[in-house]
This record gives sequence, C-alpha cells and structure tokens, in this order.
Amino acid sequence: MRPLLAAFAALGLSALILAGCKPERPLRASCPAHSLCLEAGNVSEPVSLDPPKTTGTWEDRIMGDTTIGLTQSSAAGRPVPGMATSWDVSPDGLVWTFHLRKALWSDGVPVTANDFVFSLRRLMDPRTASEYAYLLYFIRNAEAVNEGKAPLSALGVAALDDHTLQLTLTHPVPYLPEIGKHQTFYPTPQHVVERWGDAWSRPEHYVSNGPFKLARWAFGDHITVVKNPLFYDARSVCLDQIDYYPTSDAIAAERRVRRGELDTNADIQSNRIAFLRQPDQIPAYVHTHTYLGVAYLAFNSRDVAAFRDRRVRLALDMAIDRDFITRKLLRGGQVPAYTFTPPAVANYQPPPPPVWAGWPIERRQAAARALLAQAGYGPGHPLKIEIKHRNSPDPTLFMPAVQADWKAIGVTATLAQEEVQIAYQDYRLRNFQVGDAAWIADFNDAMSFLGLQQSQTGAQNYGDYDNPTYDALLAKADNEPDLGKRAAYLAKAEAIMLADAPVAPVYFYITKNLVNPNVTGFVDNAVDQHRARYLCFKGHGAAAPSGE
Amino acid sequence: MLRFLLRRLLVALPTLFLVVTLAFFMMRAAPGGPFETNRKLPPEVEQNLKAKYGLDRPLGVQYLGYLANVARGDLGPSLKYPDRSVLDIIRQGFPTSLRLGVSALTLGGVLGLCFGVFGALRQNSPADYAITTLAVLGVCIPTFVTGPLLVLVFASWLGWLPTGGLDDVRGYVLPVVVLALPQVAIISRLTRAGMVEAMASNHVRTARARGLPERSVVLNHALRGAVLPLVSYLGPAAAGLITGSLVVERLFTLPGLGKAFVVSALQRDYTVVMGVVILYASLVIGLNLLAEVIQSLLDPRVKLS
Repeated sequence: MRPLLAAFAALGLSALILAGCKPERPLRASCPAHSLCLEAGNVSEPVSLDPPKTTGTWEDRIMGDTTIGLTQSSAAGRPVPGMATSWDVSPDGLVWTFHLRKALWSDGVPVTANDFVFSLRRLMDPRTASEYAYLLYFIRNAEAVNEGKAPLSALGVAALDDHTLQLTLTHPVPYLPEIGKHQTFYPTPQHVVERWGDAWSRPEHYVSNGPFKLARWAFGDHITVVKNPLFYDARSVCLDQIDYYPTSDAIAAERRVRRGELDTNADIQSNRIAFLRQPDQIPAYVHTHTYLGVAYLAFNSRDVAAFRDRRVRLALDMAIDRDFITRKLLRGGQVPAYTFTPPAVANYQPPPPPVWAGWPIERRQAAARALLAQAGYGPGHPLKIEIKHRNSPDPTLFMPAVQADWKAIGVTATLAQEEVQIAYQDYRLRNFQVGDAAWIADFNDAMSFLGLQQSQTGAQNYGDYDNPTYDALLAKADNEPDLGKRAAYLAKAEAIMLADAPVAPVYFYITKNLVNPNVTGFVDNAVDQHRARYLCFKGHGAAAPSGE
Repeated sequence: MLRFLLRRLLVALPTLFLVVTLAFFMMRAAPGGPFETNRKLPPEVEQNLKAKYGLDRPLGVQYLGYLANVARGDLGPSLKYPDRSVLDIIRQGFPTSLRLGVSALTLGGVLGLCFGVFGALRQNSPADYAITTLAVLGVCIPTFVTGPLLVLVFASWLGWLPTGGLDDVRGYVLPVVVLALPQVAIISRLTRAGMVEAMASNHVRTARARGLPERSVVLNHALRGAVLPLVSYLGPAAAGLITGSLVVERLFTLPGLGKAFVVSALQRDYTVVMGVVILYASLVIGLNLLAEVIQSLLDPRVKLS
C-alpha cells in the first residue's frame, strides 16, 4: 500500500528533522537581541488591566509592574513611597495630605493629583461597578457615592495643586500607607480614559506610570510588557521585557520552569512541594513563605443547637491535630494556626495561642472529652455532625484527618464535598453544620481578618459570632489613630474571640513560588508581591532602585 | 439538492432556538452566579454589577432581550472579562482551536484511513492484529494520560519539543498528536469494518469479474462504500475537535476555546457559555449537513430527502 508507505516515510522524515534540531538551550519565547526577558507564569488570565475592574492577584502582578500607586511594594513587600514621596496626617488621623513626585505617564503627559482624584471617583462611580470599591469605604462619602446617593464630587478626595492630594476619611486608617499600594489606589490616566472610555485598557491605548508598559495581550496566551523609558526611576530597572503566561495547570507550569521555558511561576501544587525539595529534584527553585491567609472551620451556631454551647465548639477546636495536618499531610511548610490572624500581619502581634495549644494531643483529647461530657455528649449520647468542605485538593486532603481527630473524642462526623463556589454559597445561606473555609486578606492588616467575626458582617460571618465586647473593641480600634494602641485593641478582641471558638483556625497559608536560581532580587514575603523592577538575571547587575 | 439544503436550514433554526433556550435556563438554574466568590460583596456593589449587565431584571425579560440580541448577531459582553465581548473571546480562542482541530483531524484521518484499509486487506494477519491492538489502546487511553507521557518523552527527556505554549510551529506537534491518536484509532476501526464488508460485496465482486486491477477495485469501488459510516462519524467529531479540548489546552497551556468554555461555565460567565454553545450547535448542525451531502455524492443509493 503506497499511502501507508508514504505516511511512514513522512513520519520517519519528520522524526529525523526533529532529531536534527535538538536544542542546546531550552525552547524559550523569542526575546529581542541584547535584551533581558523574564518569562513569568502568572497562574490565571487577567479579567482586565483596568484597575477598578480587577480583584485578582494575577491582575495585580501585572498592574503592579506597570503602575505605581501612592505607595508601592519594596522588594520585601513593605510599603515604601511611590507616587507620593511623603505625607502629613492631621492629629485626629482623618485628613491625609500626600505630596506627589514629578513623574510622567508612558505617553509623556505629567502625572498629577487630578489623575488620582479622577481614578478614585471612577472607582466609586456606580456605573464602573467595581467589585473592590468597598475596600475604600473609609474615604468620606465613599459608600454613599458608590450607592448612587451622593454625587461623585462629594467624595472625600481633592487635588490641592498638581502635586498635592488630600484624602478625608470617615475614621482613622493608620494603615493607609499599606493600602495605598493596593490596586484600588492605582492611578489611571484621566486624559486617556476620557478619550477612549472603557476601551482605554486595550494594549493599543494603555498608558501607565510604572517601570513597564503594556505592549501586547494575546488573550489566553500571554501578556507582554516592556521597559518604560519615561518611568521616574527607569535607570534602576534591569529587565527589558516580561511575558506573563496564564499557567492554570500548576504541574504543566512546573515542567516548563524545570525546562527553562519559564523563569518563574506564582504557584506550586501543594503536594509537590516536599517532593521538589528533595536534593535530586529542584530544591533551589522552591520558595515558600507564610502568607496572609488562614484555613479554618466554621461552626453554624444559628441552626445547630449543639454549637450554641461554647464547650462543644471549644472541644472540637482543641481536638484538631494541626501538627499532623501541616507536617504529615500538607508538607509544604504551612504553619499550624491557633490564632485567626497570621503572625506575618503588619503592625500587629496576635494574642498568645490558647494554653491547650502546647499540650500533647492525648491531653487535649481528654480535655475535649471532658468538655463534651459537661455539655451532655458522651458514649451514651454521641454528637453527630456533618462537615461540608470544598472539593479543592487541600481540604479534600486534610478533612479526613479532622474527621478522625473528632472520632477520637467520640464525635461522629460525616464529610460532604462541594464545588468551591457552591460551598461558599451554602455557608452564606447557613446551609451547613461545620464548614471548611479559607480567608485571604484583601490587604496586610489584622482588621481584614478580624472583621469577619464582627456581628455586622452578616452572611460571611459563617459562625454568626455576635459578641458586643468584641464588636466594641473593633469599633474602638477603627477610631484609634495610633497604630500601637490600635493593635492592642485588636489583639484583645482576637483573644476574646478565640476563647469563644466561633471558628477553629487550622493552618496559615504559604506563598508558593517556583523561581529559577538565575533570577536575582526575588525576596519571599508575606504579601507575595515580587515587583519585576527589582528582578534581574545573574551576571547582569543593575543600579539599586532609588528611594529605598 | 438546493431544496434539501433550504429545508434543512429551516429546520436548523428551531433546533438552534431550542438549544439556546435550554442552555439559557439550565445555566441560570445552576447554583451560584457570576459575581459570587468566597468574598461576599456588599449589597450596593453587587447591585451596581447586576444593573450594569441587566441581571437585575426578571429572568423572562433577560431571556427575551438575549434572544433579540442574538438575532442581531450580538452575543453580549463577557461578565467576567469586563473589557471583552463574547465575540472578542470567541474570535481570539477559536482560530487556535480550529488550527489544532483541523490538523488533528487531517492527521487522524490520513493515518486512520491507511491503517484501516491495510488491516482490511490483510485481514487476520499479524499486521492486522497489531493495528487492531493499537487502535483499541488508542481509544482506551485517555488524552490526559497520553499527553503527559508524550511530553515526558519528547519534551522533558529528548528536548525536541516545547512542553507547552505556542511560540512557534513546534508547539503544535504534541497537542496535535495527542488529539489525533484517538481519532486514528476510531477512524481505522471504522474504515476496517467498512472495508471488510465492502470487499465481500457484490459490486466489488463484479468489479473484479470485469478484470479491473486490484488497485482500482480497492480505491475506486470498495473504499467509496466503506467510508460512508466514517463520514457520518466525522461530522460531529469535527465539531468537537475544532471547538477545542479542555484537557489538551490545559496540559499544553494553549489559548483555545475549550478552556474558555469550561472555565466560564465554572465561573458562571453566562454570556460566554451561551456564545460557545451557539457556536458549537451551529457547527454540529452545519457539519452534519455537510456529511449528508458528501454521503450522497459518494453513494448513489443515499437520497437526500
């Protein structure tokens, strides 16, 4: 049969051709001659690069390289001056005056305080329908403006002159420099947005004020940014180009990093971390650090009578063997959680963990059994509950351990899995008994965690925690301009909440990055922000960024 | 022929309408919504979002509005990608999926046909058994197994091909092969069965009796009849292939439509799901029609009615 022969011949020929071009170096995306290009795995496809329309870290990783807010992330993720070089705060903490540097947009037009006024008004404009607008409700009249009950001009933001911006707040926000580097505070160029409308964020119109500018967006494939020569500190930027890829499959991304096709990837599949750290694997590539996230269990005390008894909640909380879960199951470096707020949170010291945290597990189990007996549960009258959990890999892995821990104290728990989105919806509707949830802070502050258990939080206060003392302490913290005093109020509130155990924190999240050891300037940090302006390749030194 | 085509196109419209209606209400019946994540949005923010996309109107009104827009060729904005319309997303994902699908279909078709014919002519020979075994394996082993295996060998060990991405033409090789393997298997099985039957049929015996050379008997007389079941298989198979495969697109990080479809269904991006459903349904209808026409051209016994 000739076609068959021809087909085999073609196959053989193509194999030969391919064999002939075995590359010495990895198959990397094309990079202009004499340029340094970073190939970065960005996990997900950005929904938009128009700041008020985004909520994801994968959008911020790109916008944070193209845009500088009032403040910005240092290499270690701490807030340092950005467009604002300095600021003054009124004694009551309600009026902040930011002094802006002279800087240009990437099209050569000066960045002014008016751009910030315009951006913040646009963020709060109900027609923009920004999901993250509520984060800045501390700006005066922001909530009313966002509800459409007040005109945009009522927003507490004003340009005193081209380089002086004034914010008026409803309550003191001593962590403003921290939230000032958040994506909601990124300036958008008024002259460009007014010209193109919502289409301004397309690559052909996009204008930004940061170290890089958008060059190309091949939807679903990659986004390319190139060095912005008009950036105020352009000479300190080492990289010429960055390509960001939506690497939704962490294993495929891991292969590409190993092969050198990608230099970094912002995720590692959890159960691969211990394996990759083995000496014959790629230990030098694996970066982890405590992150601003907590995995916890919530007890539905509204509908489950047993959970209205603090002793029952506490017994279940005590019985969870967090060391086993983090060291034997997750094995990625996750930290057992005995407080709700991670130790890495800025301007805050979580309260000391409960005394039982230091006891051996047998003693904890005995104490838990005693608490259950006091509450009327025991061998004759066992507690039977259902744990609802998300079907993502980590909860699916550790939930059977929780089930076994509770069995050891005589509690029968059944497991029910649900798609992540459905699970959260059920929690909000209180359609659960015990729910497995996780919380990643919106910004680096304890309030972002503790606000969840405030009675006014409503649907997302899954355990329906309602303690007037706790609420009062949080309110007091909200009105306290002094960071130290504020932290003390918050820690006191957290200690009270932990003793009541409306939720059982299990472990703190970690950041998971794969970084080729040839990449320099990558500093692990709790906010998982690694701005490309600090990155370089070995053997290609760049001047240190100024203003650090 | 023309009357047949016109009539089928007229039938296609109610079919599409039914598909759109079912998909619309099934999508809305699914729990959750496009703006629900693990963060509960404040009511005013959620209201702003819903008002922007008209999701605050009664479902019936939304449905009628959607139908009117679709009739005008407007598939609406994406709910998850605020800067993009559904057409943008299809326009950007479809070419990649189309290229991959057509290449895989061509490769699968050529190899499958050759193997099938070869197996039928050498019935029950060791070569036939080998092809049959390979075909069974090809059907049984899913792409999420063959894909990583091929990547391991050709990308990680041998280093001939990239492990993912579409930076140049080499990026297409592995995804196309992975997509084509099951097609080779199915097509060779269908061809072999058809050929075995055709070789024993009266018209082939007649052709041989007339003293035609074997080559002409096989290619002109037997094969024509043998590929009929294949043609009816290829219609819907092609529609599936060119609208993209989630597994292959994820595995090789390709910017295709298959991934966009599944991800938008999970995120309840209603308009994108609807747009892809409409595209897929139109392709299935169109390609099935094409298959019928081809069948009638190949086999005079098939009447278009």
